[in-house]
Amino acid sequence: MKVLHRKLLRELLAAKGVLAAIISIIAVGIGCFIAMSSTYDNLEYSRENYYRLCHMADFSIELKKVPVGDLATLTEVPGVINILPRIVFQVTASLEAVEKPLSGQAVSLPARENAPINGIVIKQGSYFTDQRQEEVIINDAFARAHQLRPGDHIQLILNNRLQDLLIVGTAISSEFVYLIGPGGLVPEPESYGVFYLKHSYAEDVFGFEGAANQILGQLAPEFQSPNRVREILDQLELNLDDYGVFSTTPLAQQSSHWFLKSEIDGLKVSATILPTIFLIVAALALNLLMSRMAEQQRTVVGTFKALGYSNREMFLHFIQFGLLIGLAGGLFGILIGYSLAGAMTAQYRNFFEFPSLTNQLYPRVIILGLLISVFFSVLGTFRGVRSVVRLSPAEAMRPKPPLRAKRILLEKMHAFWNSLDFRWQLVLRDIFRNRTRTLGGILSATVGAMLLLVTFSMYDSAFALLNFQYDKLLLSDIDISFKDDHDYAAYFESQQITGVDYAEPLFQVGCTLKNGIHEKKVGITGIRGDARLTIPRDTAGNRVEVPLTGILVTRKLADILQIQAGESLEMIPVSGDRTVKQVPVMKIIDSYLGLTVYADFQYLNRLMGEADSLSSVQLKTNPRPAVTRQIYRELKQVPAIQSVNSIRDQKDKLQEVLVDQMIVMIVVVIVFSSLIFFGSILNASLISLSERQQEIATLRVLGYTPSEVGSIFLRESFCVNLPGILLGLPAGYWASKGINIAYDTELFRMPFTIGTMSWVYTVLLGILFTLISHWPVQKAIQNMDWLKALNVKE
Amino acid sequence: MPASDADALESPLTYENTVLLSLKSISKTYTTGDVSVPVLHHVDLDIYAGEFLVIVGPSGSGKSTLLNIVGGIDVPTEGDVYFHNQNISQFNEQELTQYRRKHVGFVFQFYNLVPTLTARENVIVAADISASPMSADEALELVGLGNRADHFPSQLSGGEQQRVAIARALVKNPELLLCDEPTGALDLSTGRMILEVLANLNRELGKTVVIITHNSAIGHMAQRIVRIGSGTIAETNVNSQPIPASQVTW
Repeated sequence: MKVLHRKLLRELLAAKGVLAAIISIIAVGIGCFIAMSSTYDNLEYSRENYYRLCHMADFSIELKKVPVGDLATLTEVPGVINILPRIVFQVTASLEAVEKPLSGQAVSLPARENAPINGIVIKQGSYFTDQRQEEVIINDAFARAHQLRPGDHIQLILNNRLQDLLIVGTAISSEFVYLIGPGGLVPEPESYGVFYLKHSYAEDVFGFEGAANQILGQLAPEFQSPNRVREILDQLELNLDDYGVFSTTPLAQQSSHWFLKSEIDGLKVSATILPTIFLIVAALALNLLMSRMAEQQRTVVGTFKALGYSNREMFLHFIQFGLLIGLAGGLFGILIGYSLAGAMTAQYRNFFEFPSLTNQLYPRVIILGLLISVFFSVLGTFRGVRSVVRLSPAEAMRPKPPLRAKRILLEKMHAFWNSLDFRWQLVLRDIFRNRTRTLGGILSATVGAMLLLVTFSMYDSAFALLNFQYDKLLLSDIDISFKDDHDYAAYFESQQITGVDYAEPLFQVGCTLKNGIHEKKVGITGIRGDARLTIPRDTAGNRVEVPLTGILVTRKLADILQIQAGESLEMIPVSGDRTVKQVPVMKIIDSYLGLTVYADFQYLNRLMGEADSLSSVQLKTNPRPAVTRQIYRELKQVPAIQSVNSIRDQKDKLQEVLVDQMIVMIVVVIVFSSLIFFGSILNASLISLSERQQEIATLRVLGYTPSEVGSIFLRESFCVNLPGILLGLPAGYWASKGINIAYDTELFRMPFTIGTMSWVYTVLLGILFTLISHWPVQKAIQNMDWLKALNVKE
Repeated sequence: MPASDADALESPLTYENTVLLSLKSISKTYTTGDVSVPVLHHVDLDIYAGEFLVIVGPSGSGKSTLLNIVGGIDVPTEGDVYFHNQNISQFNEQELTQYRRKHVGFVFQFYNLVPTLTARENVIVAADISASPMSADEALELVGLGNRADHFPSQLSGGEQQRVAIARALVKNPELLLCDEPTGALDLSTGRMILEVLANLNRELGKTVVIITHNSAIGHMAQRIVRIGSGTIAETNVNSQPIPASQVTW
């Protein structure tokens, strides 16, 4: 080993405390990067492979009924290379052991070979056999939730008839990576499943001989841009106009894909932002450390240069510090990141159903992680040492000229300055004279506090979303939707069920709303004027009365349609009487899920030429479990029911996923944020300590105790960190706001809120971290050889 | 080391010796902010190959600046420095580095050893960048520290540290040894020991040794004494009877 390398290693060892602090910040930054990038790759590669394996559709068209023979012309539309007609229906399922009526989608598949588009991957059992028509393949998550195996039976209500089907296999498919029922946000495999039927059987049972109600399609690679997809779908919709197109869905808007892709894209953004924050803080800390180290080695630098070492050789020597620190931080980061990626990937396995989703080691990510780590470390080092290395040898060997003894601004405020005791004067002078260090400290505290506040705010928002959705907007316990529209009798019957305290009808109409060139397919929900179970609200949470005529439009939809209250929209129903109707927008409301439109129940009925027609009923029920079970048993007997949703279960599930799992994230962020505080304070304080050894020694000679000396440093830490923490509050507010805006999508939005306690916790944690970080500094003061420090040559 | 007359330098210096280094009308002014401090004024000086020269002057007289310019670690504001007829005052940074690397060995008042390196390693630091160095152990032997090679500076006395510094200067085999107050931080007996080492190097290896000091007693062992004051050379004396280092006293 070269002698200079030995010098390097010994000096690194001597500065191990501060280095450990810096390395841990780097390791956390690189760890975040590796964890998020690897998880991103894990998900994205799994997604790509899975889509390829199943021949994922690029679009789907949902329609009332179309003869399969009429579809041949669709592939003539430029860009369309393959189509597959299939039959898809929302159905209810019934299992003996489960009291709650279950629901799901019945999806037809070719009887013999896997579907050429949106195929399935068998997990257990087999594909369909030739032995019987009444065979079903169920999605694996549903099977797991109910411990169903091939050979078991399941009853499905298909076209109002109860059918007993033999389960031949369980399967997964790329179109249901993230499977949620209508109106759901998180997968509920115990309540909602996918039931694959032989196509011929589905034709038979649904009365769809030679017909389909969904068309899947694939596009040539050069036709995959959003605009081209839209053009093709518009063309296809035009071609299929006679068959009642309900919706055309490009892959980008397919529910499973959308959730998966949002998560993957989110990871990519986080993989850039979070590590950058940590690494900038680390580079700053390293910059301070290296400035100090180079400054301490002024004479050594001068001597080496006098011996004949060149600037370049000296630079390379010091840069090796950065290089080693970067490598160490990078390596630790890789270890942290890889295990974190394993945990995150395992977490995603709970939500996303893949054939295999494993944690891989990606050389590209690892190398990039190391390079980033080394880059930031070398950058910090370079900036720290360049002024000393550039000095001429003679200048470097002269003692550093004394600091400019200029008075700081505060000293000019005589009355104030003189009222301070000398310890405060020492603290303030040091803070104002070492501006880079002070600014670095403030920035670190700002970042640390910002991270905390953003995380707390996400928790608050998730809680507010739950609160708004289930305590203010949707107040029912069980929602029943019917396969077809029914008259008021169904509502009266629901009221008669034992255990139902109160019921309300809803009338839902699927339609296209149009404002000039802007249009959107949505559902309008008709509610009664005196509704108590669905209550439209504004952002402040105030009830918005449903007008007797016209509609209430959610803000997101109003933005999409470029419409304001008082203006009118064209409404084209997707089924029934499809004549264009004018509907005035009476008010803009707020909602967090979907693109909600409300209208008066009677008004919507009149608009559709109906009288007292309803499509679902909301129930307020007795909460006793025995009563609920009784209600479920009764509902199971009603074939007209398409689905039974327990709103209570939905809320619990959402709470479990959204809120409870965020606790884990909060703990991780608290640890990371504490590392930022810890690293930055320890670094700055230890450097300050080494610079002020003589000052400390003098104070000790005068009779100051170590804790009295320590209090000076603690004051200094607070003077830097408290403003940093306070600045972190607005920074956190705006970062949260930015994240909130980024999550503003058609499917869901988060309410923007930061609870009082979140502000308080952020400040308290910041103060706590500052206090904890002071402990090793205090130890260093206690252990300092101040007698030796007194004899240091200047 | 035993002191005897035999240890005294051989001179009187004969001016047949070749000029190693020649300073022509050197001036140096330091400028800090708005303040200019002139340190040297038109100094002319020749340094002869193989001579033992002591430059004496009070603190602030400009002697360290003069030494730094001779050693190529500082550059004059005006004037020329010729080393083997090459004008080093015109050298760029890289050329000056090469000059120091090949031709000059420095010994400083406070030794300037790297505290995290052992005596041997401190010497190797210089040997590493030299084209034809002697071995580090040989250099340490020459200063009488062969048995302390594995000690860190903090484990060595001041005199020993200064000898390590001399070994470090020596290991590169430079023609010119420049010593800035080499005994300034040492007591009399240790100081004498250091001076003896330097005298030996001059006598036995033929190294040109230039010592700057505020201590005029050291001048008695030199072949030539240059007195410097207020940035100019006040007088130059050839010492016809240099005394051995062991008899130097202050």
